[in-house]
Amino acid sequence: MTLAWPRVAGPRVDARDKATGATRYSADVEPEGALHAAVVRSTVPHAEVLAVDASAALAIRGVTAVVTAQDLERRFGDELCGRRVRDMPLLARDKVRFSGEGIAVVLATTRQVAEDAAALVVVEYRELTPVLDALAALGPGSPRVHEAPWRYDGAVVDQSHPPNLQSELVEGDPVAVDEVLGRAAHVVTRTYRTPSGHQGYLEPQCWTASPRPGGRVALLGTVKAPYRLREQTAKTLGLALEAVEIDPVPLGGDFGGKGGVVDPTLCAALALWANRPVRLALRAGEDMSATDARHPSVVEVSVGCDADGALLALRVDAVFDGGAYAAVKPIPSANLHGMAECALGYRLEAFSVRSAIAYTTTLPKGHMRAPGAPQAAFAIESALDELASAAGVSPVELRRRSVLSGGDRDAYGHVWDEARGAETLDAALEAADAAPRPEDRERPGRRRPVPSGWRRGRGVALYARPTAPPATTSLRLAPGDDGRLVVELPFPETGTGSHSVVRDELAAALGVDPENVEVRQVSTGLLPYDPGVGASRVTVGLTAAVHQLASRWWESGGTEAVTVETGSGTDRPALSYCAQVADVAVDPETGQVLVSSVVTAADVASVLRPRSHRMQIDGGTVMGYGFACLEDLLERDGQVWAPNLAELRLPTAADVPSLRTVLVEGGRGVGPANVKAVGELTNVPTAAAIANAVAEATGRRVRQLPLTAERVFWALHGETGGETGDEARDEARGEARNVARGVARGEEGPA
Amino acid sequence: MKMHARVNGSPFVAEVPATSSLLEVLRGAGLTGTKEGCRIGVCGVCTVLVDNRPVSSCLYLAGCADGADIWTVEGMAEHAPSVVDAFVECEGMQCGICTPGQIVAVASMGPDVRDERDVRHYLSGNLCRCTGYGTIVEAALDAQARRRDEVAPA
Ligand code: FES
Ligand code: FES
Repeated sequence: MTLAWPRVAGPRVDARDKATGATRYSADVEPEGALHAAVVRSTVPHAEVLAVDASAALAIRGVTAVVTAQDLERRFGDELCGRRVRDMPLLARDKVRFSGEGIAVVLATTRQVAEDAAALVVVEYRELTPVLDALAALGPGSPRVHEAPWRYDGAVVDQSHPPNLQSELVEGDPVAVDEVLGRAAHVVTRTYRTPSGHQGYLEPQCWTASPRPGGRVALLGTVKAPYRLREQTAKTLGLALEAVEIDPVPLGGDFGGKGGVVDPTLCAALALWANRPVRLALRAGEDMSATDARHPSVVEVSVGCDADGALLALRVDAVFDGGAYAAVKPIPSANLHGMAECALGYRLEAFSVRSAIAYTTTLPKGHMRAPGAPQAAFAIESALDELASAAGVSPVELRRRSVLSGGDRDAYGHVWDEARGAETLDAALEAADAAPRPEDRERPGRRRPVPSGWRRGRGVALYARPTAPPATTSLRLAPGDDGRLVVELPFPETGTGSHSVVRDELAAALGVDPENVEVRQVSTGLLPYDPGVGASRVTVGLTAAVHQLASRWWESGGTEAVTVETGSGTDRPALSYCAQVADVAVDPETGQVLVSSVVTAADVASVLRPRSHRMQIDGGTVMGYGFACLEDLLERDGQVWAPNLAELRLPTAADVPSLRTVLVEGGRGVGPANVKAVGELTNVPTAAAIANAVAEATGRRVRQLPLTAERVFWALHGETGGETGDEARDEARGEARNVARGVARGEEGPA
Repeated sequence: MKMHARVNGSPFVAEVPATSSLLEVLRGAGLTGTKEGCRIGVCGVCTVLVDNRPVSSCLYLAGCADGADIWTVEGMAEHAPSVVDAFVECEGMQCGICTPGQIVAVASMGPDVRDERDVRHYLSGNLCRCTGYGTIVEAALDAQARRRDEVAPA
């Protein structure tokens, strides 16, 4: 069914405060007497730092200190910082490894003075050859980004690996894949590329740290995983866990980017060092060029099917540019879990996945909404269309034959008691054909009709994602002063509506009016643990904890505060499919792509707050559209070329396609609330659906994102009809530009 | 220089350096509901009303607002209550960082902004990374309808 989105009964807990400007975010907090920090950042991608001359900065009135790595080392020792792999210094020691890396910090009485003075600090470099290409970085003869990365605490590589390997993830059986592909009727092997990207939150990162008696420190800021940041900070600064307190504050968007760069830990160090509150606020451009970004990818896919178009085997071989440090990645493999799961959606006789992440001298890469999955899905779902055309079956048929149904075993060996691939695919196609009104198939912000000469095309893509059983979290329920109940949470509201879900579910479980439940994020000292917002685990984990909390509350008589701490759950996981159908129009003369409509079918179980759920779907699809058509952080020659929101080109209300959603209801979810993850679902297949539509419209395949007019133009008009837009363009230009660059680099680079 | 204005209906006097943006001055005076995003006039999270026109306060020199009638998100419950209600009831927000700008922009819409296409163009200077815009557009249309009803009760 197509939903007319119902209005929820109770508004979000945070709605009125957000609508009247009363909500205080990180940047709105400024303790009395705080010093303002401005970071002096490297302007070159790879260099030895020979000298830092701060004399001009120190001469400015209002500057209290210029802090270097040596100052911090004297106080805190030489531990490096990171979430799993601790490979990043708070400030560069003798070497900088990306343009944007912190070298020194100016502390001053106002932000303006700190920023002005930071511009006066002179850094003397001896430039080293930059390492800018992930593939070359892993090959022989590349300069090393780190001398001995296997020595780092938490390293996931050893000495036998190429010296620029950050991490490698291997799944499946490559030998079996060779064997099965050897007898497949049709096989295609293609390579796809995606660019670096910023998460695009509109709230630049900002932290405030205050020293507390006894050598302790309190930190508040753009932090989505407070307990993990506490761990990272305590470990790096040589403090006891209890000496670090992370205080509550809502986030102005996250999408993976606010998990734990080094700067909050740096801010805590500065407050302890100066023995004053310190505020470190990034400007938007600085945030884009100095925190963390999406991993650019080069993904080679080989996929084969039998004569009837049933899939047989899939090989995915990806190289990601991990940037200068692995420090930002939180999962044990220090890899991307979207890669680990990328072969999940189809029945296959054999599969293999290899995901290698390279160190380069570029901005460190971290997580962005379903890390690794959008890159993998763009490659795999594009390759499936190419295979369909080689096999002479329709792209829809090819998928329908091999998606999972209940009782099927997936490529990893797991048998799903419920899997609704075909239903989800069909629901999307049916809805795409049956727009309620003709204008629902067009971009709602259109100014004029699409010219008749433009070519139309439709593309389909699928994504399958597991919802894991509830994970660790903790909650506390206590009677409030005013007769209300207060539920305390260990993580911030990032925008998804998680705090409202807690209120609604707890009120329902206790049988009280939601108005009588107050939800509050509290400091890390007040609850046992939570691993942070991410990986679509919040609603699942929370609802399980809420139900425990409610029963504990009744057991204990319902008058005294109770705390619950849930362990990782043992429920069966659930599988969600997402199918998208994109309709595009392409101008054959200019290559401009106009995405008219994206229809999404999402395989769901219970929906707790329909409008919040819908915004996860719509917001995800719009992010997928930006990834497909607009966004590129433009890292070139080791620099983020245009670190500002204008050049990043986030989609506006006028740009976005018509979005229609069908919920394939009645699925079996996870946990007591019977839910499935939705936050990292719909942003994943969109780019492939759009690329497939462009291929149908033009007869040419563009294998590199974003699908700019220039790429599509060259795919259409390149002399040799090169396969990707960039290849065609480079052929057309005789590769003049690349050659010129190589020569320039050879001349400049030290021997 | 001295800036004399009205902010959210009350007299407002501040000593402002000639280079200060209106955004800095408002936030510096404790009106932190108006947000800083891009600082280059692209994202719209800093939108305020100056003499009933929506402006990007990050690019607007405070000195130019001397004598003006300024409204920020903090004043919207008074200046445009139906817009605030529409955003709350339609859930036209997620993280909320763009919300002050969206609400102020919608409050400045004239009666000529009627359908979805008009709204999407009017709001194309107010980015949102969270919602996908659907609920924001609905909130804006809802607010416009409420205001039409207020002006011309059926
Ligand atoms: S901060 Fe003013 S438009 Fe972005
Ligand atoms: S609600 Fe987060 S940016 Fe709009």
